[in-house]
Amino acid sequence: MNRTLPVLLALALVLACAQLAPAQQDMKTLAPAAYGNKLTRPPAQFNHDQHNEKAKLADCVVCHHGGKDGKIDRSASTEGTPCADCHALKVQGKGTALTRAYHKQCIGCHQAKGKGPVACGQCHKR
Amino acid sequence: MNAAYEFVTGPLAWAAWGIFLLGSAWRLVSMYQLAKKKDASSLAFMDWGFSLRSIVNWLIPFNALGWRKSPAMTVATFAFHVCLLVGPIFLAAHVMLWDQFFGISYASLPDNVADVMTLVVIAACLYFAGRRLAQPEVRYITTGQDWLALVIVLAPFLTGFLAYHQVGGYELMIILHVVAGEIMLAAIPFTRLSHMVFAAFTRAYMGSEFGGVRHARDW
Repeated sequence: MNRTLPVLLALALVLACAQLAPAQQDMKTLAPAAYGNKLTRPPAQFNHDQHNEKAKLADCVVCHHGGKDGKIDRSASTEGTPCADCHALKVQGKGTALTRAYHKQCIGCHQAKGKGPVACGQCHKR
Repeated sequence: MNAAYEFVTGPLAWAAWGIFLLGSAWRLVSMYQLAKKKDASSLAFMDWGFSLRSIVNWLIPFNALGWRKSPAMTVATFAFHVCLLVGPIFLAAHVMLWDQFFGISYASLPDNVADVMTLVVIAACLYFAGRRLAQPEVRYITTGQDWLALVIVLAPFLTGFLAYHQVGGYELMIILHVVAGEIMLAAIPFTRLSHMVFAAFTRAYMGSEFGGVRHARDW
């Protein structure tokens, strides 16, 4: 029996899955292209997988929420969508600007849990 | 860390602002009542024109005779007061906190400009300290209260500078910085720093007396 085909198919599947989340695995900081070269602080330290393991986060929607007009919808997951895809650097009307979104979501959760960085230099490390 | 940071940026911050604002109001009201009781004639001479004339003339560097007599002090004190007020209010990190806590956003200074302003404040504090030690006429009238005011002002800028550059243990430094800032705010009504609240009235008083009674300039 020729095993080449199933092995190749399995390999293709693994590669395809790995393709889905390369950004998350390599991610060490939060510095999306949206900021260009206009970062006023060193990028926030954030290792996606390490963070979620430590914080025991299995449910993506906790961070990757849905919503519109500045209202968060925790029932609609946007898993796999980077923050900057929805949160623009500057917003007109309702909605939350990117920097404010990061600060509110990260610090808000850290405050609620009593764990994780809350002051500027704890994330924006030099 | 989290509990300490929450406490100093939460309840302690509200307390510091409360003491600063209510304390200042109370000092102004009680000073007015004291003036009414003990120096009623001066109140009768208070005049908007002479008051503003004195304030404006003293706000211009090297305009008043007092400024021209000590040029180094004039440069130091103007640079100090401008950086002291403008720096912290328009510091990007502080503007970000207004946004985070209250959703208020406004223009901020580039970090390197704010950094230089912080160094100007620190350098001016050292100059003031040196002056109090070296100049006999200043040394003669210097009290513990003057040193206290100087240390209270120096502390938030020194800790802020170290926290920004993340030198010497960031987590402790940022908490020390917040507490130092709160001590400064709360100390304004009750120390020599109260000239922040009283300076305009002191000038108005002098200006009105010189203008309305002595018919002379007070600058």
